[in-house]
Amino acid sequence: MTKKKSKPRKKGFFWTLIFTILTAASGGGFSGYLNPELPLLGPLVKNILASFADTLTTGGTGTLSGDSGFLDGPQGPGTSGAFGGSVPVQLASARRPADKILIASFNIQVFGKSKLAKTDVMSVIVQVIRQFDIVAIQEIRAKEDNILPALMAMLNAEGSRYNFLIGPRLGRSVSTEQYAFIFDTNRIEYDPSSVGTMGDPGDLLHREPFVARFRPRTNFPDRAFSFWLVDTHTDPDDVPNEVAALANAFQVMQGALPDEDDVILLGDLNANEFELGPLGRIPGIRWVVGGNTMTNTRKNKAYDNIIFHAPSTTEFSGRWGVLDLQSAFQLSEEDALKVSDHFPVWAEFDIWEGPHNGRVADRPIAARR
Amino acid sequence: MVEIKKYLADLACRDAGVRAAAAEGLCCAGPDAAIAAVELVQACGDDDESVQTWAAAALEDMGAPSNESIIRLQTLVANQHPLVAYWAITLLGRLGRDAVSCELALANVLIASSDPAVREQAAWALGKIGAATGVAVAALKQAQESGTARLVRLAREALDPTNQ
Repeated sequence: MTKKKSKPRKKGFFWTLIFTILTAASGGGFSGYLNPELPLLGPLVKNILASFADTLTTGGTGTLSGDSGFLDGPQGPGTSGAFGGSVPVQLASARRPADKILIASFNIQVFGKSKLAKTDVMSVIVQVIRQFDIVAIQEIRAKEDNILPALMAMLNAEGSRYNFLIGPRLGRSVSTEQYAFIFDTNRIEYDPSSVGTMGDPGDLLHREPFVARFRPRTNFPDRAFSFWLVDTHTDPDDVPNEVAALANAFQVMQGALPDEDDVILLGDLNANEFELGPLGRIPGIRWVVGGNTMTNTRKNKAYDNIIFHAPSTTEFSGRWGVLDLQSAFQLSEEDALKVSDHFPVWAEFDIWEGPHNGRVADRPIAARR
Repeated sequence: MVEIKKYLADLACRDAGVRAAAAEGLCCAGPDAAIAAVELVQACGDDDESVQTWAAAALEDMGAPSNESIIRLQTLVANQHPLVAYWAITLLGRLGRDAVSCELALANVLIASSDPAVREQAAWALGKIGAATGVAVAALKQAQESGTARLVRLAREALDPTNQ
């Protein structure tokens, strides 16, 4: 992989453990992408792996799917479909532009067996996820390990190849939750040596971030935009301390690998743009959700966001949005709340690594803007 | 409001499925579920996992309960079920100075609870309330000396007058 500009590693409280996790998972080196072994964390069982054997057999560096234009409808992602309605039979990946990826964050409030049993709710969740290349999920709450496998079966029923990475159950009380990344393997690949849950020896965070490194699948993998995703869900009762800790976590991730300077922190922060504290004061930091845009179903809070270092992550196209489940799926507020009390938030990024350190000359000619 | 009252009644139903649906309904009600705060805290000790999960989720997003619930919440801070105690303490902490009458009860939990998360939450709540009595301050100082990393930090913050 082509090296990006390197930064000094942050000496923070996270550093020791994040280093341990990364090296433990890597098997002795940065082995690259497309290792067929899913690094599923937590107590997931072998039958999950078996049920996804077909997906796991994908290997080699693939090409992007054909470009048949951006998402259906004039309003961007998620404007088609009705509650409980069916999705047109078309691979999700084919509805997205070839030169961009859509990254989303979605807190699916108490995503567990109760929601899994609700056909109408699951139909909406499936249609939402199919709009995006990667979705960072918060609030998987179940003792069972079959929640995401069941969701994958629904997502892939029309031929798509979504897969997932899931973190361990986290929480201070017996009530725990899991993070996950769901991604379209037709379009996205992940680095199996760079998946883990951040260490937090000072116990500053109720639920330590779940991190993984991704990049779009292209014919020029060394030039593809690679990035960390840092999935997070703060404790609403300890927001100031937690966003301060996340500022540290963000900077640790910026220095976690010498060849990776793109860190995208996303999730339910329980803080709006004015409540980000030290996280919002990192020089060059940018968040996509701001102004009067609300991200919860009751439309009175802006707690979900996607945050990155703008001078580093020049791949951001400037397009972002909040997927209003009520209007997108023509739901009552009551029915939208049955899906979640949060709306998904999303942002769009170029598939090619940005022009750091004069690397613009390295980019394939067809990919230059 | 009619629905919330129905959910409230359903939380006491013998059928676990009805109780779980009620807790889920209250979770979807968001801040409006505050009138059911005490019942939701009690539901965190339900034998049924779904009831527990939805009740805890409802409490996480509910905000502060009404002051009328303080006395009943105080009776739950030392509950044997750690999730019940955890949430009773958390709701009192959210009330801040309004829950100052619970200071001694919280200090006792901080001293005596065997559950680390409950002790930590008691220290947090004492900080929010503004611990001032000798017993509470002594309990916080003790926690500051011998607790987990988080407990030490929370106790230190609770004792810091600039945080009150």
